[in-house]
Amino acid sequence: MPREIITLQVGQCGNQIGMEFWKQLCAEHGINKDGILEDFATQGGDRKDVFFYQADDQHYIPRALLIDLEPRVINGIQNSEYRNLYNHENIFVSDHGGGAGNNWASGYHQGKGVEEDIMDMIDREADGSDSLEGFVLCHSIAGGTGSGMGSYLLETLNDRYSKKLVQTYSVFPNQMETSDVVVQPYNSLLTLKRLTLNADCVVVLDNTALNRIAVERLHLSNPTFAQTNSLVSTVMSASTTTLRYPGYMNNDLVGLLASLIPTPRCHFLMTGYTPLTVERQANVIRKTTVLDVMRRLLQTKNIMVSSYARTKEASQAKYISILNIIQGEVDPTQVHESLQRIRERKLVNFIEWGPASIQVALSRKSPYVQTAHRVSGLMLASHTSIRHLFSKCLSQYEKLRKKQAFLDNYRKFPMFADNDLSEFDESRDIIESLVDEYKACESPDYIKWGMEDPNNILTEEGNAKGTVDPKLAI
Amino acid sequence: MEEEDQQKILDLVKELVNRVLSRNPQNPKPSISSNPNSPDFQNSLRYAIRILSSRLTPSIAPDAAAIAESIKRGLATQGKSSQALNFAELYNKFASKTGPGSINNKWAVLYLLKIISEDTKVAQNAPNSTLLFPNLGLNELDLSNESRGSRNFKRGEKGYDNGVLLVSKDPENLREIAFREFVNLVKEENEVSEEVLVRDVLYACQGIDGKYVKFDANVDGYALSDLIKVPRATRVLVRKLCELGWLFRKVKGYISESMDRFPAEDVGTVGQAFCAALQDELSDYYKLLAVLETQAMNPIPLVSETASSGNYLSLRRLSVWFAEPIVKMRLMAVLVDKCRVLRGGAMAGAIHLHAQHGNPLVHEFMRSLLQRVCSPLFEMVRSWVLEGELEDIFSEFFVVGQPVKAESLWREGYRLHAGMLPSFISQPLAQRILRTGKSINFLRVCCDDRGWADAATEAAAAAGTTTRRGSLGYGETDALETLVVEAAKRIDKHLLDVMYTRYKFKEHCLAIKRYLLLGQGDFVQYLMDIVGQELSEPANTISSFQLAGLLESAIRSSNAQYDDPDILDRLRVKMMPHGTGDRGWDVFSLEYDARIPLDTVFTESVMARYLRIFNFLWKLRRVEHALIGAWKTMKPNCITSHSFTKLQHVVKLQLLSTLRRCQVLWNQMNHFVTNLQYYIMFEVLEVSWSNFSNEMEVARDLDDLLAAHDKYLRSIVEKSLLGERSLSLYKSLFALFDLILRFRSHADRLYEGIYDLQARTRASSLSSQDKKQSRRQTRDKSSEVGSWLIDGRKALEQRAGEFLQNTGQELEAISKEYTVLLEGFLSQLPVQQHVDLKFLFFRLHFTEFYSRLHPGT
Repeated sequence: MPREIITLQVGQCGNQIGMEFWKQLCAEHGINKDGILEDFATQGGDRKDVFFYQADDQHYIPRALLIDLEPRVINGIQNSEYRNLYNHENIFVSDHGGGAGNNWASGYHQGKGVEEDIMDMIDREADGSDSLEGFVLCHSIAGGTGSGMGSYLLETLNDRYSKKLVQTYSVFPNQMETSDVVVQPYNSLLTLKRLTLNADCVVVLDNTALNRIAVERLHLSNPTFAQTNSLVSTVMSASTTTLRYPGYMNNDLVGLLASLIPTPRCHFLMTGYTPLTVERQANVIRKTTVLDVMRRLLQTKNIMVSSYARTKEASQAKYISILNIIQGEVDPTQVHESLQRIRERKLVNFIEWGPASIQVALSRKSPYVQTAHRVSGLMLASHTSIRHLFSKCLSQYEKLRKKQAFLDNYRKFPMFADNDLSEFDESRDIIESLVDEYKACESPDYIKWGMEDPNNILTEEGNAKGTVDPKLAI
Repeated sequence: MEEEDQQKILDLVKELVNRVLSRNPQNPKPSISSNPNSPDFQNSLRYAIRILSSRLTPSIAPDAAAIAESIKRGLATQGKSSQALNFAELYNKFASKTGPGSINNKWAVLYLLKIISEDTKVAQNAPNSTLLFPNLGLNELDLSNESRGSRNFKRGEKGYDNGVLLVSKDPENLREIAFREFVNLVKEENEVSEEVLVRDVLYACQGIDGKYVKFDANVDGYALSDLIKVPRATRVLVRKLCELGWLFRKVKGYISESMDRFPAEDVGTVGQAFCAALQDELSDYYKLLAVLETQAMNPIPLVSETASSGNYLSLRRLSVWFAEPIVKMRLMAVLVDKCRVLRGGAMAGAIHLHAQHGNPLVHEFMRSLLQRVCSPLFEMVRSWVLEGELEDIFSEFFVVGQPVKAESLWREGYRLHAGMLPSFISQPLAQRILRTGKSINFLRVCCDDRGWADAATEAAAAAGTTTRRGSLGYGETDALETLVVEAAKRIDKHLLDVMYTRYKFKEHCLAIKRYLLLGQGDFVQYLMDIVGQELSEPANTISSFQLAGLLESAIRSSNAQYDDPDILDRLRVKMMPHGTGDRGWDVFSLEYDARIPLDTVFTESVMARYLRIFNFLWKLRRVEHALIGAWKTMKPNCITSHSFTKLQHVVKLQLLSTLRRCQVLWNQMNHFVTNLQYYIMFEVLEVSWSNFSNEMEVARDLDDLLAAHDKYLRSIVEKSLLGERSLSLYKSLFALFDLILRFRSHADRLYEGIYDLQARTRASSLSSQDKKQSRRQTRDKSSEVGSWLIDGRKALEQRAGEFLQNTGQELEAISKEYTVLLEGFLSQLPVQQHVDLKFLFFRLHFTEFYSRLHPGT
């Protein structure tokens, strides 16, 4: 009973990072491009069946669904050397192949249209597992398919598999460059609402920060998507190591996430990884100790979410929780020393309304992947500064919305038919209250937040807690 | 006339010589010697004439009256007073005779007579003396007779009183006369002659009563009987010499006693060796006595005439002769006394104590004795360390074996018997010896291994000894030590090799860590999942058979399936004895069947400790599992995605605050449990394990290994608060655990209620809605086990309000209790002196949340 996790890769971005993720997983488990275990992969101790299952001919097949509304990326995968890895029944490309045109509403609408097909695939996968732990959704929030269809899938999964975990790896758009997708803020906002309401855990992968890291840390002048995606796959595989290499603790996703997410709505996680390398890129090899790794993980420059906070706000930002997954040869006594040092130096600010501490999970490193570093670490953290990212999304949306720009594309679809833009408003309210809740977490009085002022209940808190069920909305 | 006189004298002398020679009965050829033409006769004659014509004069003044007086006194002192009177009368007549025919030189005649009378007396004492002229010193004759085998002829009569003529030449002859008189006096005092005493002493020294010297039980020793008249000095001397006899009796008595006892009672091999060594010493002693005895019989040949020599073995000489034997005999007697009650190693040790002596004689003697005595002991050591054989039927060895079960062979099978440990073997060496042999036996009995023999041979070769018997002895303690060290090194190494490679000690330790100490997380998790249901039942209704099946499927479903089947085979379900009211949780545990020989390490008591740790960790896991379960019911998308807009805001507020309270409390509890888990994992299990692994690497023998394992286990027990001294801490910890479990059921109830409420609000509004939610409704209908009747929104909200209020209060109560308990627990942490809990405290207190709550504390 391996606590299986089914991965849903939706849209162009989702499939790209998904592909990278599977590449990485195959390498770590010693599975070759065709899904066959390499001869050298005899060391065991790893749990492949969380993410893979074995076909009748012993091929390892990823528990993955590849979903897109346009065929380009998926065709790319099917023509790549990994084409034999996937179960072809699990690939869904819409018949018309026209994509969603970067329109959330289109993606969402099409999603509804193909719900039956996709849910069949999901059900089949779910039935094929002994004790399904949950789903992982890879997508971007800015485009059409990943965001719109992803949103629809989130709602459906939440409904259909309410007991199962739903985790997403959500790529946030790069704010630094002018995107060709002008409706990005709309898409983001609408997706964010679903991420807030229908997901259990959202790992925020901020393309802005990924680019910055690629430029600053990896010294790539013009990072490609492939390069930033490899960063994403590194994070994804690292965050699942404790599931794949069972140890004393953190052997399942729920255990991993439960401690990270003490309050249900604040389930957006930031990640950090060190030391970073990109494939075939000669990097300066530093000495890595647990302390080094843990300290670097706390540095903003290594965190894969941009901080839009102003200085004053930044100083008030607090960690709600931190989990460091340390991989490699680690002497357990070093962990304590490092924690002690970090506390002495006051390198980390925690919430004041409850006990908190840096959790450290030690995990084995794949014996089949050679790395230059002895120790590497991934940080998963819930940090209140993420609200600034949402605020940024909100402000961009407001800008656009004020101009009433590009709304016609949305009105074409049932949800926004008859100029009913309440969905936008609702989403905005929800994101706003999310931002507020994160802000409240920075105060020691979070426990009483929203309780004492009955007016707040109707204005802010009323929306925050008692959100209107979208389906009931008239 | 003158010439005639001369011829007359010559004739007279001739006649005298002739008579003297012819009267000698021992003269083998009287006819020849009496023959005036024989050379003997001529020689004697010439000698006589030479003496007569010499001017030799006696050293005393020629006073006839003085001589007479002396003779008279002599007679008187001899108790012959009548003869003295007679002599006085005769002398008066003789002196008054004057005129022709009378003797002119009266003094000379008297003197002559006196000399002769004295000579005769001496001749009477001497057994073979018939010579008339002993004092004439016929030594020349004697020497000339040497070739004819008559050498020993006159030895006996060389007394102290010969050589009057020689003495008379000495100017200090007065002193000599006095001495002679003293000797005479002594001789008169002694009823028993010295020769006889010497013989008696010699007898006594062999433990036999002599004629005069007899064993006197009263004085406990040999003594001259009081009736015999001897000088006191002699008596004391005899007494002294006879100490040897007394000692001899003692030693001899011990030997024969031991020998008599031997077959019936356990004298022991060391005792036997001791007796044998004593016996050997005694034979040497016998030889000495034999020599002395012959010497007492035969006079010593004297090289020179002038040397004053007498009876070869006087008592004084004996005392010189006896000086060495008496020291040895005394030592032996002391040893015999000391060892009478001792056996084996103790005996050797006692003897060894006496060997520490500055006197080289004593030292050498003791060394040789010990060499004999210790040889059986050393042989035992040798065969013990090289063959593991305990050849000790008389229980003399300092290693004692006792029949035990194989699993306790190492710990209890053999021990050192301090009483039998001779002091020349140091305690560490003894331990080493014990362990080496024990290792061999352990290998043989428990490990079923034969490879140790090679190791032993190799060790013997390296130590330069052979594996034969009797190659070691006392005084070669260094050699013994080398042998033991070499053997120990190899045997121990071999034993560890066998333990590590053949019996996979490390793998089993790891397996125990993985399964009993819950290191294999996925396995434990799955087990928890599937047995959870079962274990909630009362303990007496649970079938351990079924649990075993569940264990099996947990193994099959987790990564444990790739483990060595041998290891998995040893993993069992164990149900502890249960009382009434116990749930399955209370009695369930896992056990690991260590089997021979690993059960030496994993003894029952060790496994019991593992069991305690398991129970603790299992409970902790269960609590963690419960909290995760609670989180799952309140997980984000269950709560956030649902709407409660239809509720009155008062109720909504209640809902909100109850949820928040629940979440915050959950967070606190989870923080506590997770950090306790992290502490257990890093600070307790992993650290202890890595220490243990390091110690395993350097362990040189099984004892090291046992100690390392014990340390490992103890450190886990202590640090997991399972030790005796953390009892109160442990109790408050368990109170916390129970509270958390209680919290879970409350949280579950709360969320169930909320979901129900949700469903109902939806259902109530559904009547007026379209059928969009039909699917959800059908799902929720299944859970519609109603405490709430659908009688309108108002009643619903009222009930909801009541429910939330109640649950909220319950949660509040739990929260308060939790805070109290946790504070109690935390306040106890820093005062635990015996175990370093600062790590735990540090983790729990990372953000100083609790001290912020109560700045006062």
